[in-house]
Amino acid sequence: MTDVSIDRPLPERADVLVIGAGASGSVAVTELAKNGFSVVCLEQGGWTRTDEFTGDKPEWELSRQKQWHPNPNVRQRPSDYPISTDESDVNPLMFSGVGGSTILYAAHWCRFLPSDFQVKTMDGVAEDWPFTYEDLLPFYEEMDRQMGVSGLADNPAYPEGEAFPLPPLPIGKYGKKAAEGMNKLGWHWWPGANSIPSREYEHRPQCLRYGACLTGCPAGAKASTDLSHWPKALDAGAQVVTGARVREITVNDEGLATGATYIDRDGVERHQRAGIVIIAANGVGTPRLLLLSKSPQHPDGLANSSGLVGRNLMMHPYAAVVGTYEENLESWLGPAGQSIESMEFYETDKSRGFVRGAKWNVMPTGGPLGMRAGYGGAPIDETFGENFHKNVKAVLGRSFEWGIIAEDLPDHENRVVLDPELTDSDGIPAPKLIYKSSENTSKLIDFHVDRAVEAHQAAGAATISVTKLMRDCGWHLMGTARMGEDPKSSVVNQWGMAHDCPNLMVIDGSVFPTSAGVNPTATIMANALRSVRHLIENRADQVVAE
Amino acid sequence: MLTDTQRATYSALADVLIPEAEEMPSASQADVPMVWIDKALEYRPDLRDAFVKALETCEGQDPANALEWLNKNDTPTFDALGVLTSGSYFLNPEIKERIGYPGQQPVPAKDDSDTYLDLLSVVVERGPIFRPTVG
Repeated sequence: MTDVSIDRPLPERADVLVIGAGASGSVAVTELAKNGFSVVCLEQGGWTRTDEFTGDKPEWELSRQKQWHPNPNVRQRPSDYPISTDESDVNPLMFSGVGGSTILYAAHWCRFLPSDFQVKTMDGVAEDWPFTYEDLLPFYEEMDRQMGVSGLADNPAYPEGEAFPLPPLPIGKYGKKAAEGMNKLGWHWWPGANSIPSREYEHRPQCLRYGACLTGCPAGAKASTDLSHWPKALDAGAQVVTGARVREITVNDEGLATGATYIDRDGVERHQRAGIVIIAANGVGTPRLLLLSKSPQHPDGLANSSGLVGRNLMMHPYAAVVGTYEENLESWLGPAGQSIESMEFYETDKSRGFVRGAKWNVMPTGGPLGMRAGYGGAPIDETFGENFHKNVKAVLGRSFEWGIIAEDLPDHENRVVLDPELTDSDGIPAPKLIYKSSENTSKLIDFHVDRAVEAHQAAGAATISVTKLMRDCGWHLMGTARMGEDPKSSVVNQWGMAHDCPNLMVIDGSVFPTSAGVNPTATIMANALRSVRHLIENRADQVVAE
Repeated sequence: MLTDTQRATYSALADVLIPEAEEMPSASQADVPMVWIDKALEYRPDLRDAFVKALETCEGQDPANALEWLNKNDTPTFDALGVLTSGSYFLNPEIKERIGYPGQQPVPAKDDSDTYLDLLSVVVERGPIFRPTVG
């Protein structure tokens, strides 16, 4: 499918133009269409049919290293744009298409904690958010219902709130093994919340535990927004143009956003007018587009008078501590997805020599090939020969991962810029990432890895292996168009409206002032809902371009 | 399609990578060079050029020595050969059965909270561990 609105002409001028059909864009389009706005969404990728995913097919483990790899530089689909990463410690991961990166995300569904919104107040670093956990709570709870989240209430790591709409997914033998270790140490753990239905939910079937969440759910169970939101958005009258690669957001003489110029898959340049423009293109795509949109009114890029567009990139360095066990834990079974999580070391304890913390999550380790990628350069007999068989017997089904999501504090020098040479297939300058993990992060990871090793030891692991920084871990793209009340130190206000352009909104992870130490999709979507509801409620006073 | 010469070269290389050992068959005993490599190349056409390059590099040489050279001097090509060989081996249903991997089968999620609620009770008893909002 290339254009679902082909049977209905696009409006000459839409009330709202949304750029990006992923997690946050899906929320905006659905809410606006339900409330009577004419909405057009431009999406550079296409639709993905459930039967395209390989998680239920023999080729799964081979295809996940290429066709379904989360790194667009590896995947290299026509819809992907290249990203220069020569100066980055971490590779950014994403997917272009209706549903965006929720197509390939792990669906860990985690709220930020109260302290995450008050990092400056509580820990004296970075910035506070312009609102609190309590302000966002009703939107978190509504988003739980929209996505169909499975989880167990009363987690002592969080304030009280509504129960999840669905009971928790099974934690499996490996989750129980991990929990036993945590109990020996007296450390916190809790069954993981996932945006994966444990029972049939709004026409999506229950989870079938393929363990293939990260390559797209072959059961159509996981809440990717092409399934959770887009059917409702289209029913409400929204239109999406797929294969539409946006080159520039256009402005009028007053500097208001008037729409966007895009290139369709026939190579034809088109323009869509709109009264309001919302950007939802992720923490790399959004600053790229703002920087591309230079004009006499916005000479340094759109909404960039602060010089902060692209700055403060945060990507959550991720460490993995894998333990192997004597018994068969069936650790190929999903969800993947998180089985259990721990927030034991999440809050700041300055005696550790660093601030902030990390969520831990237990994840399965997949099939026999997954553990065998990328061994080039090591002696052959370490991974092949007789050890090929020994390793499979030792690890397959008998291992699980404690993953550590390290809070990434904002750093002005970590940034997205336009690459001076690299372009996408339409000749549009590609983004370049300049990103170094900080000393605080290194200390944080060292501490957490040591504790995770202890957790595996307590659970009885036979062997333990550590990866302190996975290069392909940049799922969480945040901070590059930060929100705040001061136009000199932020790009958008707390409702996502650009300080420099009062009819331009940003609603993806770009607006996060800080990153927290948990998976951000729940917060991205809850924040998008809060922002777009504010827009709808204040529509009478909203500035628009004619 | 691979030529007979390519298959012969590959068969020798594949058996160095995956020999008969630990009560498991070698790559050639598992039909990797004659059957499953073709499926793997179908699934990963992007690796075909590197695979062919590996065979050309190693043809006529002692397979173990040739692989050592390739691993040290042309890692991407060795990696392609390794991934395709491992992937081909695990495509064989008999191999999956012998290693006890029933993966990629639907297993409807069932609530297993009855197996861990006793473990969780001590976590609950310890009480809240978050810092509440200030002000």
